Amino acid sequence: MDFEPNEDQAAVLGGLDQLIGTLDLEPPREGAFAAFSPALDQELEESGFLQIALQEGFSLLDAALVVERIARLPVSAECAASALVLPLINAPERRPLALGTGLGSPARFLPQARTLLVDCGDDVLLVEVEPDKVQPVETLLAYPYGRLRTENPEVRALGSSMVAPLRRRWRLALAVEAAGLMQGALDEVVEHVKTRQQFGRPLGSFQAVQHRLAMAASTTASARWLAFRAAWSDGEADCAMAAAYVQDAMPRVTYDLHQFCGAMGLTLEFKLHYWTYRLKALLGELGGSSPQARAAAMSTWKHAVQA
Amino acid sequence: MEFGWNEAEASYRQRVQALLAEELPENWDEIALHGPGSLAQTEFSKRFCPRLAERGMLIPHWPREFGGDDGAPWDHFVLGEELWSAGEPRGPQYMNVNWIGPVLMRYATSAQQERFLPPIVKGSTIWCQGFSEPSAGSDLASLRTRAERVEGGYVVNGAKVWTSYAGLADNCFLLARTAGEGKGAIVILLTPMSSPGIQVKQIPALIGEGDIHEVFFTDVFVPDENRLGAEGQAWEIITYALQNERIGIARYAFSRRVLDRAVAKLQNDGRFDDPVVQDRAGRALAMCEAARLMVYKVVDERAKGHPPSAFGNLARWAVIQADHAVNDFLTEYMQEGLLGEDPMQQAHHQRAIAAGIASGAAEIQLNLAARRFLELPSEGPRGLRT
Repeated sequence: MDFEPNEDQAAVLGGLDQLIGTLDLEPPREGAFAAFSPALDQELEESGFLQIALQEGFSLLDAALVVERIARLPVSAECAASALVLPLINAPERRPLALGTGLGSPARFLPQARTLLVDCGDDVLLVEVEPDKVQPVETLLAYPYGRLRTENPEVRALGSSMVAPLRRRWRLALAVEAAGLMQGALDEVVEHVKTRQQFGRPLGSFQAVQHRLAMAASTTASARWLAFRAAWSDGEADCAMAAAYVQDAMPRVTYDLHQFCGAMGLTLEFKLHYWTYRLKALLGELGGSSPQARAAAMSTWKHAVQA
Repeated sequence: MEFGWNEAEASYRQRVQALLAEELPENWDEIALHGPGSLAQTEFSKRFCPRLAERGMLIPHWPREFGGDDGAPWDHFVLGEELWSAGEPRGPQYMNVNWIGPVLMRYATSAQQERFLPPIVKGSTIWCQGFSEPSAGSDLASLRTRAERVEGGYVVNGAKVWTSYAGLADNCFLLARTAGEGKGAIVILLTPMSSPGIQVKQIPALIGEGDIHEVFFTDVFVPDENRLGAEGQAWEIITYALQNERIGIARYAFSRRVLDRAVAKLQNDGRFDDPVVQDRAGRALAMCEAARLMVYKVVDERAKGHPPSAFGNLARWAVIQADHAVNDFLTEYMQEGLLGEDPMQQAHHQRAIAAGIASGAAEIQLNLAARRFLELPSEGPRGLRT
């Protein structure tokens, strides 16, 4: 049991921070709902960070550490699916990767994607995506969304045996990314309440604000450790549990974080929505929190435990 | 970073489980029904703890010079996790090994150590914690019990309340106030409960038997040699003690055990086929495992010798949430457990409802987390005095 990054992991995270530091990652301040950064996405791909799980001597946990760190940024890149799901088909050249539950359904990152994996329930379909065949979807949710223009694209069936692994890794990717998003949003709001003065004192000095931010901090840390343990074990129960926990917490945490920024937090020039509206996007993914909670229960208690 | 147990840790856990299988009697669930402070469980602890001591598993993490085994902090924690999960057969003595002993090792005089540590090492003594008062609960620093300086010691007058295990305790870790206000005027007196002038009254309550009492002190003489540390040093000692106390109990382990049992029963009855029940059980499970990892993170910090951090306050909040998530699930979907069918569920319920109140209210943990972990600005003069 060791909760600190080992030497290699610290070096990877240090390198990632260095790369991030070289980029201009300020999101647009003039009315954007989503802030996808092509520069970040490209740098991550070229530097190999997103392929780390496939590299000798590294693991899925190392990939999760990378994804969580990237998700803290106000801008997005397609990293979670590439780093945590794509290794399943061992085809890193196929990123960016979009994940969907139907061929005609909107999917995150589909406008940028080269590959779409569709969980049809009894099979996994792989679609090689051509950008001109994707219709962008306008949305408040802070990811680039798109849907295939055709409902009958050319697909390759990967087989029913891929359904469970895809769902497990999708849950893992969701949990890891959400943990990073929560941390990014929390950091932004904590900074805001330290400086924003009302009634002659910082907002963050009011106990009503302090308690809910402390709860959010506990929830965020819990989400992070559940997600990292899931990446370490790559187990059905752990991945489902991590996703269930963070989806369960999202409404509560995003409500509080917006509440403490008041009307400023509702404007597009304030950055908070770049995190919270990605969290809201993830809340509705994989059928919402309930399938994850039930999957955690069913995989933990597959058979009647000894009374 | 990794989340598995090494071979030595796994083997240690197996040893503890084997010991429990050997030492716990068939009627253990009945003994444990009323909680660690009950007469039955306290009496049992006086037979069980010496057996633990004989097998080197009462205080394995203590230094050798005090009778321990210089064991790894993780071993101590695994031991506590297994024992609390089993319903805490150490009874009130878990407190001795978790924090009273370590505080005495750090701050007591040699004479005090010679007098008070051997009974803890043998597993034959019960302590209670004389902290809270009728008008000083969460605001511990405002306590009023007086310790008047007299020749050769102190005369104590006042009252403590909510004191766990007082009815059966041999000694009290007593906080009292000398002349003056504030934290600097508090002293710690290691007070034998047999001292003339001490009266204990159990308070009937929703939580376990023997868990809360009023303790009255009327002209109780405590000699100088029973004062722990110097006058003015008490708050430093209390802070150290609370760091060990607040995360010492693996509450989530008992919650997880009770949840596992409940699911088994629901499965046998066919009630677990309901997706709503699966959903609620899954959420409670996730809360338990979140609490487990948050506490492990704190233990990991300790095991590496890092100074105590405010992360412990966040972990405490997670533990409280887990206790309540499981308790709420059981109360809604396993009501029969509170109608006489499951003593263990009732015992869990009684511990869970006190989880956010005992050992420093949940809101105090949030105050501390806000100030020390998030570094939010102080509320000003009306804020915490701790």
